[in-house]
Amino acid sequence: MYGIAALQPYVIGLFLLWAGLVKLLGRRMRAQAGRTALARLVGPARAVTALRLAGVLELAVAAALLLPPALPVEGVAATGLSMGFLAYLTYARRAAPASSCGCLGAHSRPVSTRGFARAGVLLAASVAAIWAGPHPPAPALALAGLAEIAVLLGLSPELDRHWLMPLRRLLVRLRRPLAVTPEQAREIPLEVSLRLLYLSSAYCSTSARLRSDVQEAWDEDGVRFVVYAAHGGTAVFAVPLAGGDPSAVRVALIDEPALT
Amino acid sequence: MTSRRQLLKSAVLGGGAGVVAATALGSLGPEAAFGAAPPQVAPGTPDPGFAEGRIRSIKDNTLLVLGSNWVFHTIRVVDGTSLWKLGPVAFDHVKPGDGLYARGVRMPDGVLAAESVWLNIVNVKGHIKNITDDRLHLDHDDKEILCHRVAGTSVAVYSDAPPSADLSRLRVGQHVQVLGAWRPDTNEVDIATVFSPH
Repeated sequence: MYGIAALQPYVIGLFLLWAGLVKLLGRRMRAQAGRTALARLVGPARAVTALRLAGVLELAVAAALLLPPALPVEGVAATGLSMGFLAYLTYARRAAPASSCGCLGAHSRPVSTRGFARAGVLLAASVAAIWAGPHPPAPALALAGLAEIAVLLGLSPELDRHWLMPLRRLLVRLRRPLAVTPEQAREIPLEVSLRLLYLSSAYCSTSARLRSDVQEAWDEDGVRFVVYAAHGGTAVFAVPLAGGDPSAVRVALIDEPALT
Repeated sequence: MTSRRQLLKSAVLGGGAGVVAATALGSLGPEAAFGAAPPQVAPGTPDPGFAEGRIRSIKDNTLLVLGSNWVFHTIRVVDGTSLWKLGPVAFDHVKPGDGLYARGVRMPDGVLAAESVWLNIVNVKGHIKNITDDRLHLDHDDKEILCHRVAGTSVAVYSDAPPSADLSRLRVGQHVQVLGAWRPDTNEVDIATVFSPH
C-alpha cells in the first residue's frame, strides 16, 4: 500500500511534466489555443497566456513531486491541480461543448468521458500521493507504475493518432474485415450499374424525361435492365453487366399505351 | 410481369422505341433527394411537390407522415411510384417509423401523389474511426455512426477506380461520405454507397 502511494508522485510528476512541456513548447498547441475551452473561459486574446500559465503551474507541481524530499504538501498541491482539471473539464463540457480541452496536445475533439476518467485517475493518484514516503524500489512497483502510465495515456484522446489509429489499421490489415468472398465479388450491386448508367450519353439525353427513381431492375443475358417512370410512359435502360463502357448503355422510351 | 419485361427488353435491345431529347429537368437518382428544389418554386416558399418526415401510419396505399416541422403530409403511393430503401423495394417494405423524402404531384385535396419515395435515406460525412466485421465506425461530428456493409448492395466509389462492391480499400482515419439507409431509432446505417476521396 505504501509502495503504491510512494509511486504516485513519480507517475503524476512525469505526466504533469509532459503536459506542461507540451503547453509551453508545442507550436500547434499555441496555434490552436483559441479553439480550446480555455479561450471561452479567459477570452481568445488571453488564451495563449493562460495556457502558458497552466503549463508553468504543471511544471512547478511536477518538479516538486519528482524532486526529493517527498512531502505531503506536494500531494495536496497535485490534488488541488487535479480538482482544478475536473472543474475545468466540467466547465468546458457545459460552456463550450464543441471545444477541445487543450490538456495534453493540439486536437479538435471536444471533452469526452475519457478526459473525465483521466482527470479522475489523476485525482485518485494525487490523493494517494499525500501519503507518499520513502520506499525501496521493487520490480512489481515499476510494473504497476508503467501500467498506471499506460492507463493515463490510453485515456488521452490527444494521443490516439499515435497508437490507437496505427493499432486499428494493423488489425484491419491482419483481419481484413471488409474482404469480399469470391461469390460476393461475382455479384454486381445495382449501384455499380447505376454509376455506369449515370455516365452514359443515353442517360444524359433521357434524364430530363424521368419522373421517378428506379422502379424495377432485373438481369438477363449479361444485361441489367433498369426501369424508370418517364413523362408519358416508361424509360428502360440496358446496362451491360460486364465492362465499364458507358457508350454500351442503351435506352428506350415507351409510351404508356404500349405497355397496357 | 414477365411479358412486360419481355416487352421492355425487346424495346431497348430491338430498337423498337426511340430516344428522346433532354429538356430542363434533372435526374431523379437517390442524390436528387438532397438536390436543389426545382426552379419553378419561389425562394422561401415550400415546394408543393416535396414532403419529408416520418411515417406515423399506413392505410392501404396512403402514408400519413409527420414532417420535422410538425406538418402532416398525406402521401399516396401508386403503381408507378419508385420506392427506395437501400435500393428499389416493394410497398410491403414500407413500415411505420420509417423516415422518408418524397417527390410527386400535389393533388387539389392536398394529397401528394408520389413519384419517388426514398425511405430512411441518409447522407453523412465523417472519419472512419475503426473497421470491424462488415462495419465502419464513423466519427460524425464526434458522434459514432455504425455503417453496415450489406453484401450484394453496398458499393464503394473511389476516385481512381470504378465503383465496386469491394470496400476493403477503405482505411481507418480517412474521410468518407456515406449514402445509405438509416435503421430507425438507432445510430446505425446500411451502406448503399460510400464515397472515398482516394
